[in-house]
Amino acid sequence: MVKFIESELVLLRKEIDEMWTLVYSQLDRAGEAVLTLDKELARQVVVREKRVNAFELKIDSDVEDIIALYNPVAIDLRFVLAMLKINTNLERLGDFAESIARFVINCQEPALDADLLKKLRLEEMHAEALSMLELTKRALAEESLDLATSVFAKDNLLDEINGNVSKVLAEYLKDHTDNLLPYLNLLTVFRKLERSGDHITNIAEEIVFYIDAKVLKHSGKVDEHYPEK
Amino acid sequence: MTEMNKSAQITSSASNRKRTSQYVAFGLFRLLSLCVVLILFAILGFIIYKGVGVINWEFISSAPREGMTAGGIWPAIVGTFYLMVGSALFAFPIGVMSGIYMNEYAPKGKLVRFIRVMTNNLSGIPSIVFGLFGMALFVNYLGFGDSILAGSLTLGLLCVPIVIRTTEEALKAIPDTLREGSRALGATKLQTIWHVILPMAMPNVITGLILALGRVSGETAPILFTCAAYFLPQLPQSVLDQCMALPYHLYVISTSGTDMEAQLPIAYGTALVLILIVLAVNLLANALRKYFEKKVKMH
Amino acid sequence: MTNSKITTRDVNFWYGSFHALKNISLSIDEKSVVAFIGPSGCGKSTFLRLLNRMNDLIPDTRLSGEVLIDNQNIYEKGIEVDELRKKVGMVFQRPNPFPKSIFENVAYGLRVNGVKDESFIRQRVEETLKGAALWDEVKDKLKQSAYALSGGQQQRLCMARAMAISPSVLLMDEPASALDPISTAKVEELIHELKKEYTIVIVTHNMQQAARVSDKTAFFYLGEMVEFGETKKIFTNPLKEQTQNYITGRFG
Repeated sequence: MVKFIESELVLLRKEIDEMWTLVYSQLDRAGEAVLTLDKELARQVVVREKRVNAFELKIDSDVEDIIALYNPVAIDLRFVLAMLKINTNLERLGDFAESIARFVINCQEPALDADLLKKLRLEEMHAEALSMLELTKRALAEESLDLATSVFAKDNLLDEINGNVSKVLAEYLKDHTDNLLPYLNLLTVFRKLERSGDHITNIAEEIVFYIDAKVLKHSGKVDEHYPEK
Repeated sequence: MTEMNKSAQITSSASNRKRTSQYVAFGLFRLLSLCVVLILFAILGFIIYKGVGVINWEFISSAPREGMTAGGIWPAIVGTFYLMVGSALFAFPIGVMSGIYMNEYAPKGKLVRFIRVMTNNLSGIPSIVFGLFGMALFVNYLGFGDSILAGSLTLGLLCVPIVIRTTEEALKAIPDTLREGSRALGATKLQTIWHVILPMAMPNVITGLILALGRVSGETAPILFTCAAYFLPQLPQSVLDQCMALPYHLYVISTSGTDMEAQLPIAYGTALVLILIVLAVNLLANALRKYFEKKVKMH
Repeated sequence: MTNSKITTRDVNFWYGSFHALKNISLSIDEKSVVAFIGPSGCGKSTFLRLLNRMNDLIPDTRLSGEVLIDNQNIYEKGIEVDELRKKVGMVFQRPNPFPKSIFENVAYGLRVNGVKDESFIRQRVEETLKGAALWDEVKDKLKQSAYALSGGQQQRLCMARAMAISPSVLLMDEPASALDPISTAKVEELIHELKKEYTIVIVTHNMQQAARVSDKTAFFYLGEMVEFGETKKIFTNPLKEQTQNYITGRFG
């Protein structure tokens, strides 16, 4: 009995890992594309989104099969349920990456004000989001509660940066009224990145649930290095 | 309050009555069982008491002398032995093969049940009728004359129903799943019976045969007309010769002869030897059964 | 296109006047595992036993329709039934080792089929005991009575015994139902290994077992085969409501 489910779970883990890698690269490229307004890169992201969707369907179906055929219990059940939810969250991240890429494609400007972008801390936010995603992947691989919980505090940074965006942008647009549209649309990018942070946090919660059977949803989570604002 | 007292009184007297009736019943059963044991001991004791004085090596190993008033019973022992072997040789193959046919081959239905009823009837026929039949068929019609052959065949007929029944029981006791297992490997019915079923059944079959022989060794009537002789000068040389036999010897010595006073002790001695032989056969059957049980141990 | 090892067409079967199997048609691929599930008395064991003609041993039965193994109708006149049973082996619900030594149990099939070469027999016994994952446990006590083994070991012994004559099909009638969970797991692992070489048909009323072990599943009910398909499909999204009601435990 053990042999059968074991191999299926290993396969599932591999699939999720692949999905993770794919989504990471999507998010990476999408952010990259915004900084340089690289439309070619953005188009690649949009095309690859199909793969992300297909992957999500496959993983969903595989989870269904495992539950139907092997009746996982205890830690195996938690694992499978966690994978199911992580799958959904990763797929959403893929959606956000595509969204960001579309912004780049539809942007009429040849380039964006680099100073503004620095003030908005776009690169910092993008890097932090990517680092969170990487952390969760490692947290699952090493089955480390510490790594998983460290993600919660990092989300605070994303919330902080996103919180400032409206103010900084409003300040900037006061003096640059001739070119409002692209910068208004830029807001979406920040929103998407902020929501990415939320979804990655969900992933971290699922990992904690799997490892520890503790349910953290809908409760405040704190890390001593990044106190909540 | 008085209600409770009343019911308590009722139940206590009822249980008292139950207890006493139990004691009475069990006491009666115990008494009756003791009676049975007492009777057995009485018979054995009587025979042993009367006969043990006569038993010695000479008695067992030498022939009768002086017109049966002295000497031993060796030829009768030999004769009984020959008859037992003879009837085994006859009853065993026929009985076992019939048992195998009835349990393994015959289609279950009216025919088999009919045969079974007839077999049981056969064992109910009085042994003297067997003797008469044996005389008519073996001694006269087939011309064997009074002989060990005729006697063995007649005694064999007596054994056959018992062997058939024991064989059937032994075969029935073997679960069908063993037969199925063997057939599923491509073995034929015959192979299954020969390699799996019969070896398993054999202990019980042989035990049954030995018990039948033990019983039959004491039969007087069948050998009366077919083989037994009162006195033979020498041991039988071939199957067509007559032989002496213990039960017949006992009968003749006790009822006719020249010197009753000298003969009676010999009679008791003969009875004792006969009983000992039957006892020994039963013990042998028991030992054999235990031995085979160990070899073919089922869980 | 995989070869169909076993095909049945419109098979009907009667015990006396009782219509036990109704119009069963299915096709089993070689080197795959097919599970038959269904409530008690639905006919799955009866149908299994048709495949090696074990029902011939029961009086007053009748069959109509075709049962083809390797494209040959095994109920045709002139078929040597004992030869058929060499090709189609069977393992029963309760372990039924013979009252012989462990070695002789496995060797039995070879001996009754005329094999006399002792070294070949010894080789085969070792091979199949290894194949049944029993060799290490019994290699030092081959001469001991088979009854000295535990229930799970006895059942694996019976499997080795069935494999010794190199059948191409193995029929298993609830092979683990009399065993404890650990022995059951060992038997299931064994089936998983064996399907590389044998076509296996297993009757079980443990649905989880059917789900774990088989490639395809057939659901029987009241003598009919209600549904037959890929195990994955049957347990995630069966076509018939009856099937779904059974596997979700709503009846039977």
